Amino acid sequence: MAEVLDIQEQQTELHNHVPTPDNGEGGEKTVFGISYGKTMMWYFLLSDAFTFSAFLFSYAAIRLGQPWWPNPNYVFKSFPFMGEANVPLGFVSVMTFVLILSSVAVVRAVQEGHRMNQKGVALWMLGGILGGLFFLGCQAWEWTHLIQEGLRPFYNPFGPDANGLTHLVHEKMLLSPGPVAFGALFFGITGFHGFHVFTGVCINVWAFFSTLNGKFQRRGHYEMIEKVGLYWHFVDLVWVFVFMAFYLM
Amino acid sequence: MAAGHMSDEQYKSAVSAVWRATIILAVVTVGEVIFALTLGHMLPKILVNTFYVIASFSKAFFIVGEFMHLKYEKRAFILSFAVPIMFLLWAIIALAIEGNYWNHLNFPK
Repeated sequence: MAEVLDIQEQQTELHNHVPTPDNGEGGEKTVFGISYGKTMMWYFLLSDAFTFSAFLFSYAAIRLGQPWWPNPNYVFKSFPFMGEANVPLGFVSVMTFVLILSSVAVVRAVQEGHRMNQKGVALWMLGGILGGLFFLGCQAWEWTHLIQEGLRPFYNPFGPDANGLTHLVHEKMLLSPGPVAFGALFFGITGFHGFHVFTGVCINVWAFFSTLNGKFQRRGHYEMIEKVGLYWHFVDLVWVFVFMAFYLM
Repeated sequence: MAAGHMSDEQYKSAVSAVWRATIILAVVTVGEVIFALTLGHMLPKILVNTFYVIASFSKAFFIVGEFMHLKYEKRAFILSFAVPIMFLLWAIIALAIEGNYWNHLNFPK
């Protein structure tokens, strides 16, 4: 009986275009047993995965269509404050690790949210934000460094001669250029990912201050932290594949 | 005292599950880098890349399953993401094969 009444109520509502009393999180009805807001965040992330896949399609096709590709152990060998030291993959490993830890911090925030522990949520969200900012800083350094070495979206100085044999000391000492698409793909894919990190940090900052203001505490649940967290984990997930495609293979 | 929607025991097991996943992710990432710097230079390219793909997908399973909590959701929900992703993977493989063909076409050995 209650269900019948419910359906009638819904139909009347559809007819009259009267919104249901809202808790600020979307509709009351759920699909798959999770809230509308979380479901939609998941489908947004799926569509975002399509965009990243489009980048990876072109990367796979263009890279395998080249007779030669820059060696990541050579291109990504620099570490801040270490001058000309040869640390292949060192810096990017630090970046990857920090992004994973930042993701973990947000998971912990979600768990504290289930406990309605306002301070715990705020603290772990702050950890997530700091991790994200650290990652962005690392990326800024890496981009600056590669631009100084002469990498451009339409020019790639890492030709066959630079394959771990010679040091590019100055832009003027360019050797034979490598596949042009390397620069475009590198800046395009890591840039698009970096933009996601940036927006993720902004959303996390908003969630952090909303938590401090007690917005979610008054609402009675921390579902917004879960949704924000889903986006943040997705950013980490994409990095796993960017790391694989650009730095390892 | 359980203040929210979660009992103490649930909370404890959820927290330890997350730290376990973190350690696994860290170990796999460090393993990948060590592999890239040592065996990566010696083994045939196809083996090396297969290792990276398997390692990356195992990391992805932990992030999506544990951190994003997907493995605790309903099966139909999981499938609604797994199926489109399968098509994407197929497209990446197809384009990788196509790219390889362009390579043979443009730069005959």
